[in-house]
Amino acid sequence: MGEFWEVFQRHLPEFRSGFYITCRLVAMSFVIAMGVGTIIAAFRVAPARALQRIGTVYVEFFRNIPLLVLIFIFFFGFPEVFNIGPWVAGTLALGLYTSAYIAETLRSGVFAVGKGQIDASLSLGFTYRQTLQKVVLPQSFRTVIPPLGNLIIAMIKNSAILGASALAIPDLLKTGRITAALTANAHASFFWAALGYLILTVTATFIVRHLEKRLAIRR
Amino acid sequence: MVFKYTPAPMGGSSSNGNLVEFDHVKKAFGANVVLDDINLDIRNGEAIVIAGPSGSGKSTMLRCINGLETIDSGDLRFDGRSVAKAGKGIYQLRANMGMVFQSFNLFPHKTVLDNITLGPTEVKGLSEQEAKERATSLLERVGIPEKADSYPADLSGGQQQRVAIARALAMEPKLMLFDEPTSALDPEMIREVLDVMRDLAKSGMTMVVVTHEMGFAREVCDRIVFIDEGKIVEEGPPDEFFTNAQSQRAKDFVDKILHH
Repeated sequence: MGEFWEVFQRHLPEFRSGFYITCRLVAMSFVIAMGVGTIIAAFRVAPARALQRIGTVYVEFFRNIPLLVLIFIFFFGFPEVFNIGPWVAGTLALGLYTSAYIAETLRSGVFAVGKGQIDASLSLGFTYRQTLQKVVLPQSFRTVIPPLGNLIIAMIKNSAILGASALAIPDLLKTGRITAALTANAHASFFWAALGYLILTVTATFIVRHLEKRLAIRR
Repeated sequence: MVFKYTPAPMGGSSSNGNLVEFDHVKKAFGANVVLDDINLDIRNGEAIVIAGPSGSGKSTMLRCINGLETIDSGDLRFDGRSVAKAGKGIYQLRANMGMVFQSFNLFPHKTVLDNITLGPTEVKGLSEQEAKERATSLLERVGIPEKADSYPADLSGGQQQRVAIARALAMEPKLMLFDEPTSALDPEMIREVLDVMRDLAKSGMTMVVVTHEMGFAREVCDRIVFIDEGKIVEEGPPDEFFTNAQSQRAKDFVDKILHH
């Protein structure tokens, strides 16, 4: 046990910074994933066929390419064309990848909202957009909070792929690797890295559970 | 297909006192003809009950009036303006007619008060404060002011339907459409909803009601329209309809309803 503690104490600043960087990666990817996911879900259920198709192509593209390949495309491919750094490339890859799953989950939530809700909303003079914004999506969100929670947790764990690939982002996993090399103590180094991820995922689980209770639609 | 279109006089209201005009309206779902050449004028201030066997097209008639269903041919005018050809103007037309559904369709994620204020603030541009005042007085009117902060799931069916009526009235509609408003209610709750509707009719609201409540029809409405297989078979004042129906189909219907 002593050596575990020693590694932790000696490399606390690095672990703290790695934890912080993983938090930032996750937060930025989360914003991208939710924002883009919601828009794509709206496309997928829009009355206009063209929008539906755009949504479908988007989802199939990002869902059917391995995350690591996406990361390489964004990290090595895009900078040749656009001027983006590792942070933008990394969070875009993770965020857009996750957004495809979020869009699909939200879409299933939209279909769980009864047709009567749409009738009632339209009968008040709402446009389709207002109906979606004020009546359908808020209810869909609430129904799909548990599966959304799963996706967020998967995203937190997937963020480690950013640290494992060649990106110059010293996140929690990368910190573990560096520490392992420096101390020649892999099990302690990765133990502390794993604990950092566990703290994040367990916190996320609690937040999701709290939201689920607070926002539950009583029927 | 014959389209007769009379442009609306400026300022909306049609000059002949009709609020709704069905003009040779036809509607089919696939091969199933649900409305077959319907002609009907509904005057301002009139309360009409649409009666008929299930599947006869009653609900479809209502849903065509506010454009939730489109018509195949003919024309349908509300307040002098064609619903069928309204295009994007349909939203404005709908904002001027309220609709109450069999299954209430309240928004379950919003409180009773927010259910009622949502339309006026989003569509009519009322301030939160104005909308809230209006909602509060409407809740008084339907007899449940104490439920303002409850969620729909905490209300009985009768209370939910009264909130749904208040929600529709908050838009200050010219016309109220009721689609079997009491069919999903326990018997003891039917009365509280019918009472609200009766008061509304007395206040001069133009109403089109699809219902099986023949007591209500007899007492409250000005005219019964009896439809079967998508056609208007008979129409007239309720007393005449119940005691002296002309067609055999209407007679059979009255017989079944009054002696079941």
